[in-house]
Amino acid sequence: MARKEQTNTRRRLRSAYITSTISISLVLFMLGLIGLLLLNTKRLSDYVKENIGFTIFLNDDVKEADILHLQKTLDAKHYVKETKYITKEQAAIDFQEELGEDFIEVLEFNPLTPSIDVKLYAEYANTDSISKIEVEFQKFAQIKEVAYQESLIHLVNENIRKISLVILIFSGLLFLIAVALVNNTIRLSIYSKRFLIRTMQLVGANNGFIRKPFLYKSLILGSLGAFFAILILSGLIFTAQKNFSEIVSFKDYKLLTFLFLLIFIIGIVINWISTYTAVSKYLNIKTDQLYN
Amino acid sequence: MESSIHFQDASIFQSDNLILSDVNLDVKKGEFIYLIGKVGSGKTSLIKTINAELPLNEGTATVAGFHLEKIKSKQVPKLRRKLGIVFQDFQLLIDRTVFENLQFVLKATGWKSKTDISSRINEVLEKVELNFKGYKMPHQLSGGEQQRVVIARALLNDPEIILADEPTGNLDSETSDGIMKILHEISANGRAVVMATHNLSLVKKYQARTLKCEKGKLTEIKQTSEIDFTNLY
Repeated sequence: MARKEQTNTRRRLRSAYITSTISISLVLFMLGLIGLLLLNTKRLSDYVKENIGFTIFLNDDVKEADILHLQKTLDAKHYVKETKYITKEQAAIDFQEELGEDFIEVLEFNPLTPSIDVKLYAEYANTDSISKIEVEFQKFAQIKEVAYQESLIHLVNENIRKISLVILIFSGLLFLIAVALVNNTIRLSIYSKRFLIRTMQLVGANNGFIRKPFLYKSLILGSLGAFFAILILSGLIFTAQKNFSEIVSFKDYKLLTFLFLLIFIIGIVINWISTYTAVSKYLNIKTDQLYN
Repeated sequence: MESSIHFQDASIFQSDNLILSDVNLDVKKGEFIYLIGKVGSGKTSLIKTINAELPLNEGTATVAGFHLEKIKSKQVPKLRRKLGIVFQDFQLLIDRTVFENLQFVLKATGWKSKTDISSRINEVLEKVELNFKGYKMPHQLSGGEQQRVVIARALLNDPEIILADEPTGNLDSETSDGIMKILHEISANGRAVVMATHNLSLVKKYQARTLKCEKGKLTEIKQTSEIDFTNLY
């Protein structure tokens, strides 16, 4: 009977620890998501920018060999990510698909010129750089015209800047919320033991001795919480990579390891600091205040 | 005989409220004293001042060699190791067994050897006749048994002084008798015992020096017949 009740008490304590661990895991998982979001913001903006590009229309009389030579020259430029040569015929097919009718039959000739689609690296995908590149390209005799939507590029860059700022502020807020949640969980758990702490003091235990088991448990809870958070994050990353490999890519394992390590350290540090301050509070207040 | 507790012109405060003034008290080693008085008359505040739960801001006091008027917070645990405190509401660590409760106190006061800890715990449990209850959780014990565990806990470090605040307050008369016998035995073994109580029959039955907290003063009662028992509540 006594053994059974003892087991029940221990089970209740264990269930309290499990609840705390789950709360801490979820909060740390949220922090991990923020980390992933921040790590991916640049990648996402680069992805968008590098898909804008512009089109170089070539003179009608340029030979295929010259066009391929020009394409190679463009490919060699440090700001060019990739190029795609579109022949006069391919351009006609694409245009026909867009129009939905055979315009060559009406006109009886193909008015379109061959072109090269150029996509730039993200850091050059802004109106300033593109203007300079345009001037440089116009020096080539084969090039008839460089076409790009200046307003679109400006808009994309402006929106990315705004979104990055919002994400940064949002991440900061989420971080504060995460810290507050962990702190609250720990404070509640210590609050429920405030009379135990007072009894420990009255039987002659010094503050360090009383704090020790609480801090030890906080390290275990923090580590366990971080472990489960990392586990869930890893699962999420794996699923995202599998289904959205275009947008989400975490090939940089060093950065991922750093993020996981950071979650682990944050988990332990927040737990430790919250426990230390909560226990210290009850070590230093008067007995009467314990009832408030 | 050497004093265990000595208060000189002391004032006892609870926060900013003056509870007792001009407290002059001398308790010798091995002496048993009762503190009596109405609820709120200052018995518990005096006990809390002795164990440094309440600061002594006026007057001087020496408890087990510690000067309360200038005691630093780091010294308080050392003072409490020389005191054994018995509460009306037991205040056991409810999340661990009787054995672990006692083990905590010994570990907190620097005991390292498992064998020494175990043998000391068995020794004190035997003194309070609870030798086979070490594995029980506090809530599995009766009130009297819990109070005996508290007394065992108070005895662990062989304290110079036992402070008992209404130790029989939650117990029936038969159990209270048992607790009183243990406390008097402790006193007979050379420890000073200060006991705050409302239990008039016990004061009559186990006569000892009696101090009364009344109208903000601590006064000594020479004979039990002087106590106005009807006016204690």
